[in-house]
Amino acid sequence: MSTRITRLVGCALVVLTIVVVMVNQRDVGIARDETVYMGAGARYWHWFMHPAAIEPTWGGPLGGGNNPEHPPFVKELEGISHAAFSGVLGEVAAYRLPSAVLHGACVGLVFWMTLSLWGFAEAVIAALCLLLLPRALFHAGLAAFDAPIMTLWFATVVAYWRCIGPGRQAKPGDLHPRGRKWPWQVGVAWGLALATKHTALLLPFALGVHYVFLAWRAKKPLVHWRVAASLAVLGPLVLYALWPLLWTAPIAHVSAWLKFHTHHVHYNFEYLGTNWNHPRFPWHVALVTTLFTVPTATLAAAVAGAGVWIARRGTVDRDRAPVLLLALSAAASIGPFFLGSTPIFGAEKHWMPVLPTICIAAGVGAVWAARRFAAAFAKVPERVAIIAVGACIALAGTTEVVTAHPYALTWYSALAGGSPGGADLGMNRQFWGVAAKGVLPFLRSQPPGLVYAHDASPAWGWYIKDGLLPGGDGDAGHETEGIARSKYAIVIHEKHFNRHDYLIWSAYRTTQPVFVLRADGVPVVSVYRRP
Amino acid sequence: MRARILAAIPAVLLVLVSLWETVAARHDATSVPDDAAWAHAAQLVRAQHQPGDLIVFAPGWVDPVGRLHLGDLIPVEMAARMDAARYGRIWELSIRGAEAPEVAGLAPVLSQDVDGVMVRRFERAPAVVLSDVFATQPGLVAEVGFEPHRCIQLVPSPGRPATVTVPMTLGSRLVGYAGLADVFTRRDIRAPGTLAVQIGGREVARVTPGVDDGWVRFDAPTTPGAADVTFIASADAPQRQICFAAEARQ
Repeated sequence: MSTRITRLVGCALVVLTIVVVMVNQRDVGIARDETVYMGAGARYWHWFMHPAAIEPTWGGPLGGGNNPEHPPFVKELEGISHAAFSGVLGEVAAYRLPSAVLHGACVGLVFWMTLSLWGFAEAVIAALCLLLLPRALFHAGLAAFDAPIMTLWFATVVAYWRCIGPGRQAKPGDLHPRGRKWPWQVGVAWGLALATKHTALLLPFALGVHYVFLAWRAKKPLVHWRVAASLAVLGPLVLYALWPLLWTAPIAHVSAWLKFHTHHVHYNFEYLGTNWNHPRFPWHVALVTTLFTVPTATLAAAVAGAGVWIARRGTVDRDRAPVLLLALSAAASIGPFFLGSTPIFGAEKHWMPVLPTICIAAGVGAVWAARRFAAAFAKVPERVAIIAVGACIALAGTTEVVTAHPYALTWYSALAGGSPGGADLGMNRQFWGVAAKGVLPFLRSQPPGLVYAHDASPAWGWYIKDGLLPGGDGDAGHETEGIARSKYAIVIHEKHFNRHDYLIWSAYRTTQPVFVLRADGVPVVSVYRRP
Repeated sequence: MRARILAAIPAVLLVLVSLWETVAARHDATSVPDDAAWAHAAQLVRAQHQPGDLIVFAPGWVDPVGRLHLGDLIPVEMAARMDAARYGRIWELSIRGAEAPEVAGLAPVLSQDVDGVMVRRFERAPAVVLSDVFATQPGLVAEVGFEPHRCIQLVPSPGRPATVTVPMTLGSRLVGYAGLADVFTRRDIRAPGTLAVQIGGREVARVTPGVDDGWVRFDAPTTPGAADVTFIASADAPQRQICFAAEARQ
């Protein structure tokens, strides 16, 4: 297949991903945290256009409206995107566009790396597997950091792999290529990752072990010292350059940033029927959650691919050991969640960088299985076998994506029994209050009145601004005072939010909701009306 | 031939898993009874419902849907009950083969599948309640162990117990429950609280519910007759919202 066609296919997959994300997100409600990121992004962009004192826009208390506890790169992109595209896409979609574009980029990077190392068929299937992950697709449609950090994490891995490659100065037959002379890409990529989310700090564990392995094998401790220098110098420099808050007191602000996350409050999160909000957490949270939130067909193909990698270890790009690199990347991303002390709230969104490795393994496994089949049955052309296996895996993923939409946080894969199976198992129902958007049509059909919106309270003004609710359906306020003022009250069903039901029962003197929004039969939001 | 079959297995398995997932995902998504089924099941209950019947739903996650259809027959005090012992007739509406804990061990006198909603009625001799702690104060509905419970809430300071005395007509047993209310203070402060029960200056029960223990039962033999029952809440940590309820049973 010509390079031109493979490039076109790769580009088509990137564009397709961005389009799917942007279409998908239209039905997804506004997440509580998004409201903070969107507001901060707009202010950051305004500051760049109208420079002023740093602290009022970028500083303030951690957890406050300026969001200084998260580095700014994606919020800056959101601010730019909003300024450029809100007239075309609408306010919320414009803020969400950068995450969608970065998700498309991740699909492109997966396609490219897989194509470079294994082949076209593997690359297409791997890219499709990544595109057809319901939870990842959901997160990519939010103006948040979880899909972007997956992209920039993986971009760093790819850049590292490229930078330790032979480079232009390599000589034929050079057993230990010296790598690129100026490997700036890896440092910049990691800097962007750092400027997106603190979890990028886990990446050096993967890259470091890989580096040590290469150095040990080459018996040259400084075999790729330029790459290490790029990471050590350019990474922090990019973070510094992109985060004006660091321009004032870099050490103090970096220290406060990291301390915030190493001492982060444990939000409530349901797992296997238990509400967890305090360590020690079960060691298997990440394992079971991944099993239930990645389509089973993709996982099965990934298991086959992992088997192929083990059986054929050292045969693919031996000099750079990319399979080891992918495995280490996955381990660094998901490993901390086996410790029992790492916060588990948010679940799979916090270890999303594991997904490119899983999807590449799936592509490799699917094609390997198809080729074995074709080799055994000569009448079946290899191409037909690959298309058949790949299409079946993609069909399963597509079905899961369609099923999950738009309440993907309530969705679990067929392995768990779907959303109802997830509820039976006591898996987390949802978080961030996004499902509240689903009850807006019902509220619109009712006489106007203040709404007790609890977790969706930060999004309420956005919904009214978007015309999804009349102005008379404003947010009633918080807790008992808000309920006392309200005519309607919603409960976004999470185990620890049961308390809102009881507060409403006491105030309204009824246990009967007037509307219950469900995802595949599973309650996600109840609406009460004051009798 | 054997080698060919072995070679084909991975691809066949991947195709089968994929097709299974495609079918199963859609089946799962449509497997929960819809509002029409619940409305039919609710009709059946309403036709035979008697005042004071307890209505429960299983599994617990379908409770909002059940209350949507039958919530007008479930007053707040019933939903936030101490336990189910005082109810002689219990309706259980369940899906997916689930069973409510309130009917565990009981045999149904009526059992009917209504479009996937299993309606069962249970009858038994209820506990005879002579009095409860709400005679002189209404209490409140609190979240204890992620469930609603009408209770009296005491918040002792460390080293300074909080006490409430309730005049009760006692029977042969005093049955009660205690637990720590409010998920957020349970998260932030991990120490347990203690509730001691005294009748005539003599301690008859003591429970120490921890943050993960939920609604903890106590049961003490009592001498029938009027008596002042004193509930003493204590804790070594602040913000222990100790909620309790108790019934004097014949």
